[in-house]
Amino acid sequence: MKNRIPHIGLVLFVLIGILPFALAFIYALLYSFGVVGVVNTGFTFKFWLAVLQSGEFFKSLIYSALIAFVSMAASVGGALWITIQFRQNLEKKFLSFIAYLPLAIPGVVTGFFIFQLLSKSGFFARISYAFGWIREATDFPDLVNDTFALGINLAFITMVLPFFVLLFLNVFKNERLDELSILAQSLGANPRQVVQRIQLPILLKKARILIVLYFIFLLGSYEVPLILGQESPQMLSVLIIREIKQYDLDKISEGYVAAVLYTIIVSATVLFLFLPKRKNALI
Amino acid sequence: MFLEIKDIVKSFHNEHVVKTLNFQLEAHQTLSILGKSGCGKTTMLKTIAGLVSPDSGSIILNGERINDKKPSERNIVYLYQEDLLFPHLNIFENIAFGLRLKKLSNTDITERVSQMIKSLELEGQAKKMPNQLSGGQRQRVSFGRAIITEPSLLLLDEPFGSLDAGTRQRMQVLFKKLTKEYQITSLFVTHDLKEAVLMGDKIGYMHKGQLKVYEGKKEFINDPNTGVQHEIAFWDGLKVNSD
Repeated sequence: MKNRIPHIGLVLFVLIGILPFALAFIYALLYSFGVVGVVNTGFTFKFWLAVLQSGEFFKSLIYSALIAFVSMAASVGGALWITIQFRQNLEKKFLSFIAYLPLAIPGVVTGFFIFQLLSKSGFFARISYAFGWIREATDFPDLVNDTFALGINLAFITMVLPFFVLLFLNVFKNERLDELSILAQSLGANPRQVVQRIQLPILLKKARILIVLYFIFLLGSYEVPLILGQESPQMLSVLIIREIKQYDLDKISEGYVAAVLYTIIVSATVLFLFLPKRKNALI
Repeated sequence: MFLEIKDIVKSFHNEHVVKTLNFQLEAHQTLSILGKSGCGKTTMLKTIAGLVSPDSGSIILNGERINDKKPSERNIVYLYQEDLLFPHLNIFENIAFGLRLKKLSNTDITERVSQMIKSLELEGQAKKMPNQLSGGQRQRVSFGRAIITEPSLLLLDEPFGSLDAGTRQRMQVLFKKLTKEYQITSLFVTHDLKEAVLMGDKIGYMHKGQLKVYEGKKEFINDPNTGVQHEIAFWDGLKVNSD
């Protein structure tokens, strides 16, 4: 009976976790090759060729990757700095509550708040007008729907940074970093060396899988770039949904091509990053 | 004297944890310190290591007062009861940690670490990560990592407390061998009477923040406060009953 339990778990995992995704992927693949779809007439490469030749997908992919990278770098870097500098203060109940609070706010709400604050008719624009710093709304700098994705990055950082602060605080406790730091000092390390050789490597090593997963999460994020992003290039999910919901029915298949391509690239990246290490896993 | 502790006092929230601590230790000797939990042993070691500031008194090491020196500048290594190996470094790099801080050449580091791994009887384990070793092996690495830096003073806080009896005995033998080989001066805190007698050239007994260092092992054995007499009576009683 005991031996059956792991099998039941595996079957449930396949049924709930893998099967729906696999079926959706196969459907998208068939759609992208014109095998299924209202106006599609049979197997064709034309949608794939159209997507690959237009270059919009790859422009969007690079744009999304850059935004995700900048947001992750700022969030992880900021969380490391806050954790190392203010660890003892953050362990106080009220401050840890403040750190949890942003995690409870959905992405769409965060995006809306950032828009309310930074748009040309938003809170800061109005304050700037009231103080006489700008003469009209158009004088206020483009902080949302802008080329440099400042609004998107700010929203992402607001969402991700508190999570990593809490994660690093837990790693600090669980890995006994305070004791390891004292030991390193006792072996001759100065405070800078303790941070560089002990605290940073251990925190980053323990968080590396979550850093990659969060990067992928941001790469495929939808609501925030929909509210705060620019028209072109758009982040990937926004581009894919736009294509799939086109009035031009031919474009729907191109949307599925983009979705399949994105899935393949992300899956290949995840396998490349995690598979060799799993083989050598120590725990 | 190599180590001189003069009138060290340390209190936490009006509680005197260490009271007028005075003792001396010659170079290359081990002072075993016996005492019950909460008697101030760990605070005493941390104070000497520079991890806790004393309220008053002097710590003199090799003729120099080191009270104002940072822990990293004292060349004193404090070892916890747990091995506390750096989890992100393999065994070689754990042992090499202190040497890398001293910026020795790679050749020198490789030579010295390999020699230490041999002394620790850990050949073939250099590339392994800490979680791939047994408790005894991890404790050996912990020793090696401390001793290889040639500390002026090694402070051991119940280092074998978490080991089983057999491993503990092997570690005691290894510790004696290494301290002799590397001419280490050390303070060895333990709960275990037998271990205190075996490991120390001198023995001290700490009670409610005060340390008494005995002139010889005989004096230590004869002092009723240390519990040795009680232990002897127990074993003698057992012997008589079994006869």
